[in-house]
Amino acid sequence: MSGATLYSVAYALCNDLLGAIGRAIGGPAGRGLRSTDVVTGLAVLVFAALLLAASMLNTIVLIWYERKLLGRFMDRRGAMHVGYAGLLQNFADGLKLFRKHTTKPREADNVGFFFGPTAYVVTSLMIFGILPISSGWNSGVLPLSLLLALAIFSFAPLFIFVSAWSSNNKYSLMGGLRSAAQMIAYEVPLLLAVVAVVVVSGSFSLTTIVYEQRNYWFWGPLVLALVVFVAAMLAEMERIPFDLPEAEAELVEGWNTEYGGMLFAFFMLADYLRAMVGSILVVLLFLGGWTLPTWVPSAATSWPLAGIFWFMLKTYLVFGLFVWVRASLPRVRTDQLLRVGWNRMIPLALLSVFLAAALVTVRCLPLFGCVPSPGG
Amino acid sequence: MSDDDPGAAASAEATPDENPILYVARPMTTAARQFVKSLVRPSTIVYPYERLEDPRFRDRVAVQAGKPIGVGHVWDNYRGVHALNIATCISCNLCAFSCPDLCIEMVTVPGTDPKHPKKCPEIDYGKCSYCGFCSDACPEGCLTMTTRYELSTPKRKEMVYSPERLYDVFRSKLPMNPIRLELPENEDRILLDPPLCIGCNACARDCPTECITMLDVPKPEAKPGTKLPKRIWKEPVVNDSDCVRCGTCISVCPKECLFWGSRP
Repeated sequence: MSGATLYSVAYALCNDLLGAIGRAIGGPAGRGLRSTDVVTGLAVLVFAALLLAASMLNTIVLIWYERKLLGRFMDRRGAMHVGYAGLLQNFADGLKLFRKHTTKPREADNVGFFFGPTAYVVTSLMIFGILPISSGWNSGVLPLSLLLALAIFSFAPLFIFVSAWSSNNKYSLMGGLRSAAQMIAYEVPLLLAVVAVVVVSGSFSLTTIVYEQRNYWFWGPLVLALVVFVAAMLAEMERIPFDLPEAEAELVEGWNTEYGGMLFAFFMLADYLRAMVGSILVVLLFLGGWTLPTWVPSAATSWPLAGIFWFMLKTYLVFGLFVWVRASLPRVRTDQLLRVGWNRMIPLALLSVFLAAALVTVRCLPLFGCVPSPGG
Repeated sequence: MSDDDPGAAASAEATPDENPILYVARPMTTAARQFVKSLVRPSTIVYPYERLEDPRFRDRVAVQAGKPIGVGHVWDNYRGVHALNIATCISCNLCAFSCPDLCIEMVTVPGTDPKHPKKCPEIDYGKCSYCGFCSDACPEGCLTMTTRYELSTPKRKEMVYSPERLYDVFRSKLPMNPIRLELPENEDRILLDPPLCIGCNACARDCPTECITMLDVPKPEAKPGTKLPKRIWKEPVVNDSDCVRCGTCISVCPKECLFWGSRP
């Protein structure tokens, strides 16, 4: 892989820019501008802006991807008028929402009504700063990056509940209650499935987990954990078989009933950001991240940005699976949802943890891999 | 399986032999099959760019009794925009008379003799209900309905089709409703009440089909003491086979001596 990372590119850019300006100004002010602290600070900002732009762009393309896929599942074509094959449709929608007036119900809580969606989208964006994209393309070495990502990921019910409660609308509140119940119920099997991965890989760092999959991807030995993780992730993302919190047939629009304009766009954006994070986590934990199986010729991985390409390809395929589920399955009832969550998912997740532990103990893991483990 | 919710238990018992995995697997295979099928080409026809009349949708031609009965999904007897053949229109007013929506108005066609203007139907599609009575009533088969269905326009004024526009539709040679060449058996005849007639020639002048001829009648001898009525000694004779029963003669008769009836 190439040595350049996003941060190093940003740092070099800021170094050159500030160096040129500092030399032009001269004197102590110019020297201060050229100092390492200032350059690093600006580089971090530029890095964050690039990351923000990349994740936003990806999310909007993801919405387009879902619309096109859903169209094919329903025997029609999705958006197709704005831009090539409708690629710019969601940008147009976003612009429209941006121009719209944001109304607040008179009795709604002033702070919570605006704090909820903002915090929701901000925390969803924060996760992108943690997830490694390719080898070297991560923002710092965090030994517990998986835990941090999941911790931020599980902020969501709080903010959803805050915005639902402060909307002062019974449908919003019911949607918020359902959302909280559902997310808490499915947080447990989600984390237990992750524990199975952690047991096998022996690390909480996402980079290390991907590195540990260099011989065999974890979906082989941990197929049970994968199933539990994907199902729990569907519930966490509130996608269609588990989209009770915004069941538009019963609750008008669920917890975002009272939101319109840009605040609604925030919710929409955050939903798809979380869907993106969910797909990325599946790829990182079970599908080998940016690596390819060793029998793939090295020409496929030797060109620059190949890692990111394969990573994004896998992510979009996993998201395609979510869309497939959305196109196939009807919405479940609340009692079914909670029963499946507590009675089925958690035992299965525990079973997968035991299986992972047994597999590690017996050291029979290489049986499932493509190549024997080098350690033996 | 213990359930606190009776509703859930009932629905679970409704299909006890179902494998719960099938609940997920079966719809997903169905969706996948649909996805693969529509990857090549979804059923949706992207309407403004392609339409059912295109030759490539020939295979979707509706078939009835073994033979195709229309192009695409537009049937041959579809009632769309009218086509008007101005050349054969006899200005009989029957279309406007039969219109239940009063959307047909007989207007003067520009470019005709100003002394004897030719009047042809002008149709307001904002009011038209596409019932087809007008083309049924047209005795000459010059007003028919075509398969054209694209009428949307930003201006209400443009919904009114002048005779020239209807003639343009006629010249585009769209598939038209079968023109009814044989008039149905009509027992109605134009009858004359001879004592009232003054032989003024108004009926023969205004008859669109020129089926009325004024024939001489013998001038009777005046009885002593009485005077003969002052009139022209002619009477209209109607050629029933040419008459289209438009009733123009009845409406123009100054003495109301013409009426509908059946000839013995």
